[in-house]
Amino acid sequence: MHQFLIMRRHWERWLLNALLILICMVVLLPVATTLLISFKREEDVVRKPPVLFPCDTPTRAFDPTACRWSLEGYERVLAPKPTGGWPLGFVLTGNMFRVYIPNTLLYATTSSLLVVTLAGMAGYAFSRYRFRGHRLLMSSILAITGVPLLTNLLALYQMGVDLRKAQLPFYDDRLLIIIVYVGFYLPLSVWVAKGFFDAIPRDLEEAAFIDGCSPLDALGRIIIPLAAPGLMSIFLLTFVNVWNEFIAGYLLIAKNEFKPAMFGLYDFLSQNIINFQVIAAACVLIALPTVVLFLFTRRLFFQAMVEGAVKG
Amino acid sequence: MLSMSRRKVGGWFNRSLPFWLILPTILVLLVTQVYPGIYTIWLSLQARQPTGWTFVGGNNYKRLFDMGQFGESVGHTVVFLVGFVVVTLVVGFLFALLLNRKLYFSGLYITLLYIPWVIADIIAGLVWRLLVVPDYGLLSGITQNPLFFPPNGLSILTAVPPRPWLGAFPFPPAPAMIYLIMASAWRALPFITLLLLAAMQTVPSEIVESSRIDGARGWQVVRFILLPLMLPTLVVALFSLTLSGMNGVGMIFSLTNGGPGTSTEVLSYLLYSIGWTQREFGRAAALAMLIAVVNWLLILGTLRVSRVEERGA
Repeated sequence: MHQFLIMRRHWERWLLNALLILICMVVLLPVATTLLISFKREEDVVRKPPVLFPCDTPTRAFDPTACRWSLEGYERVLAPKPTGGWPLGFVLTGNMFRVYIPNTLLYATTSSLLVVTLAGMAGYAFSRYRFRGHRLLMSSILAITGVPLLTNLLALYQMGVDLRKAQLPFYDDRLLIIIVYVGFYLPLSVWVAKGFFDAIPRDLEEAAFIDGCSPLDALGRIIIPLAAPGLMSIFLLTFVNVWNEFIAGYLLIAKNEFKPAMFGLYDFLSQNIINFQVIAAACVLIALPTVVLFLFTRRLFFQAMVEGAVKG
Repeated sequence: MLSMSRRKVGGWFNRSLPFWLILPTILVLLVTQVYPGIYTIWLSLQARQPTGWTFVGGNNYKRLFDMGQFGESVGHTVVFLVGFVVVTLVVGFLFALLLNRKLYFSGLYITLLYIPWVIADIIAGLVWRLLVVPDYGLLSGITQNPLFFPPNGLSILTAVPPRPWLGAFPFPPAPAMIYLIMASAWRALPFITLLLLAAMQTVPSEIVESSRIDGARGWQVVRFILLPLMLPTLVVALFSLTLSGMNGVGMIFSLTNGGPGTSTEVLSYLLYSIGWTQREFGRAAALAMLIAVVNWLLILGTLRVSRVEERGA
């Protein structure tokens, strides 16, 4: 009987693994298809019936030595031009890499840094102090956490129009979009940060105070280093969210030279609708940084997500 | 407590430290969330004239309700939300059940299944579009089969919607809508799976064990132990899915553009098309207010459920 139960559990485990592998394959099929298309030649992309791998020969259905992989799609996106000079011997002239991706990189980095700083400060205050309005402020921030960007877009767009009209010397749309992103991803981050600070024992600070540290010293020397992984996870989550955001970047920025990569992709789509390998290559290039970042730091990601999800 | 004991030591700055720490956050939120919210209310009562904005009262709302497009769009939104929420919750729950065993590769499966969430909605839309490109897409063999979808020779994204059963209500949905629901669920699944898995793991294993000893079989454990204990999380997941489904628009841009015809034009896309295609900011603001009211109901519901959960725990 006992032997039988162990056999059954073994069998069950094997089946479960097989099922989960199958599920992973089905879930990742769309991604894999795009990845494969991006490396195909035009004539292999427009085939009837479609083929998954461009590896068939007139005689054999699949011959790994005869695969016709190509970088045509990537070349069209990046548009490298040989210069013969330093540092690589060519420059990328495609707008995607010259304009849009640097913009996105700027927005994502700046807004995540600001979010981490502000959320760290506010989260610490909420975690360590009780003051008048504590509950009210916390509940308000929690309520705002859920508010989506969409319904505020009209007003933000009008604010952008007014600001442009005012012709302030220091203002351009990049400032607006960064503040919008900060304001939009801050509330959740405050909560996540508070959760991380709550997990740090207060005795550590008490000890520091007794040794004569000021609250600000204690924050800088003891709390921040201990909270660093948590703050890092807030940074990563915000970075990926801003990188992936489309509609605000598309609508709130007037000048094309300031628009982010997601707009670049949308724009690209309207120009290259029939060249699937080019579209696929653009998708892969823009999605790759976030996917790689996620794969290398997934533990931190899940930490922030679970912390945030528990709070709603 | 801490601040009480420290009050004597610090100076004026240290005493008001929490205020200074929170102030920047409050300022940013006032500028990006509170002020635009009030601005939208004001916009919804105005109309743009060549001379500037003029007050028109409830006229924007009246004109919005009079649009045939609006009623149609509400129907599409209801169909989309029900499909999206049900598919995501059911599949997410099943995935969580499978992942809730101690397997050697659990971490790997969760990581792989999480990839769709990291991919931007607009890219996800394109990725799914590449699958059903007429003739050349990998799934075009199925989606162009006249047995499954009424033929018009092209693609699932251009197939004509079937005749609705109930007057104007768009049910059964157009093939493009079903496809949009699948693609949206695909992207929302990782987060929901993780959320439900986390809740499932807090269910004490003694309860599950003792119910098994009492004779509960597979689905009975799920039905009478897991589901009731996970109810608050399921409700939170339901609300958050409805919220994101109601306000997500990126995937529609890259997958269907609201078409074919208007068969995937949900309210969020209608907001864009009234505001930025028709340039009617007053009327679009009226629509934004309606969406905001629904959002707030969902948010308050979520807060209420999580508060009940906290008190219960």
